[in-house]
Amino acid sequence: MALKAAGAFKRLDSEDITISAESIVAPLWSTDQSVLTQFFTSSGQVASNTGNYFYEVYQSDPEIESETSYVQVDLAYGHKLGSGSAPYDTGVVGKSPTSTIYGQYRTLIYGDEDVNFVFGTYESEGIYVINAERARYKEKLFPGSLNLTLTVGSNTLELTDNSRDVTTVAFVDGGRVYDIVSGSDGLPYSGTGFTPSLGSYGKFLPDIGIIVLNADALDATTGAGGIVLGTTLTESPNNIGRLYDAVSLGASTSLKSEETISSNYIFVRVRNGEYNYSTNPSNITSSGELRWDVMINSPQAYITTVGMYNDTNDLLAVAKLSRPLLKDFTKEALVRIKLDY
Amino acid sequence: MGYLDNSIITVDAILTKKGRELLARGDGSFKITQFALADDEIDYTLYNPDHPLGSQYYGQAIENMPLLEAFPDETQIMKYKLTTLPRGTAKLPILDIGYTAIRLKQGASLAITPQTLNYLGSSQAFEAGGYVATIADARLMQTYNGVGINSPESEQLNFSTTFGTNVSKTVVGTSINLTATSINSLFGTQTSLQTTITVIGRDSGARITVPITIVQVNN
Repeated sequence: MALKAAGAFKRLDSEDITISAESIVAPLWSTDQSVLTQFFTSSGQVASNTGNYFYEVYQSDPEIESETSYVQVDLAYGHKLGSGSAPYDTGVVGKSPTSTIYGQYRTLIYGDEDVNFVFGTYESEGIYVINAERARYKEKLFPGSLNLTLTVGSNTLELTDNSRDVTTVAFVDGGRVYDIVSGSDGLPYSGTGFTPSLGSYGKFLPDIGIIVLNADALDATTGAGGIVLGTTLTESPNNIGRLYDAVSLGASTSLKSEETISSNYIFVRVRNGEYNYSTNPSNITSSGELRWDVMINSPQAYITTVGMYNDTNDLLAVAKLSRPLLKDFTKEALVRIKLDY
Repeated sequence: MGYLDNSIITVDAILTKKGRELLARGDGSFKITQFALADDEIDYTLYNPDHPLGSQYYGQAIENMPLLEAFPDETQIMKYKLTTLPRGTAKLPILDIGYTAIRLKQGASLAITPQTLNYLGSSQAFEAGGYVATIADARLMQTYNGVGINSPESEQLNFSTTFGTNVSKTVVGTSINLTATSINSLFGTQTSLQTTITVIGRDSGARITVPITIVQVNN
């Protein structure tokens, strides 16, 4: 870096600016609690038209604590043939909110209308979906962090993604996909963690913040690996409410978000012969003479602020030191500045 | 605005209002290429060359002072720059723009030609790199541009415009031309509007801020 004969601005070299990307992992839930144990819905939302498609789930009661209650996840039920909800038109078979949900997630995840949800080798016509709010999962879900407890009566099922058990990550149109298995913290309790004959318990898609559950596996008896969730294919069965009840009674769901923060590190290097004089009005008289004669041959200045400029001298960013840093002809300084945006 | 913890030296960095504007513009103008140092907040009258314990203690009162967090307003920070000058310098560069205050009628024009005093052994000089002139509230100017520095970056500044609130505008030149706004609605019920122009020598870092008053003539 060339030393200027005089001046206040110094150019940064290319090696003075480094971009670093860091992964930040944090609990998914509002208030940063690691495990969500209480779940609430809004009766207004459930009773509205949107309640035919999904339920919004809150960490506190939105009807009591409306200021601090935030949607954490949405729950939905989908069926390939439109069963489990009233058809849009009685004369049109197979077109209902559940077929809309099924088709919506099929397009999102596979991008192919001819593909159905297959869990392991088992194809299920019914799916439950847990869709994390974007503000909660930020950029993506953190694989290995899902611990979902579902309880129906005395039956309890503990589910996790199998990201720590697989050696090869599978990809679909919606990004990475892992199976949901019986286990915890990304590992199955035994074997593959699948049901004996109904495939895996679901799909975990961290890049789009979606968890798809195999309705047939949850409906199965405990001997077949299920919890007898009781999905019903009539026109008004409240299947979403069944999943909500199971999650709520399970009272333990943990999940983490993952976000990449890009930071600019700027290294400001000041040589011994640079920046030893101050234009501060308290340091000079109105005609520019130094206030203290001792500073003519032994000037001292105090760095409090670093300004970062573009080529046209626009001040883009500033950094303040926490205390003044003495600079004179015997001292050099290196200041590392981190800018996040 | 809080104080920073000064038990250890840390750095508190933020984007300025101008930095956020240029980042949002997305045209490549948000590119940090140079830096400057300043000693805003320091009062050198606290420096004590008569300290009985010797030279190690001359700056004691300054070195222990707590500092405030950074201001996001680019016109309120980096006011007093440190500068690189030969050892033995007794007089520091100062700017003279020929005015201590500027008063313009609506639509009136003025050209400012700054000079630097005590610079590079000369009692008065025009800096080769020109001068950076920042008006704190760009809405008050109908035209505002710099001439004399013909780099593409400097000329581009003359044509950059941000609509809306009172953001600053910076131009570069050896001479700065400004014309007061003729828009009445800015005045509201007031008969005059005020802002400031800050001129900085691009080579010396010397700085001067002068108030500008725009007087309403059209009703």
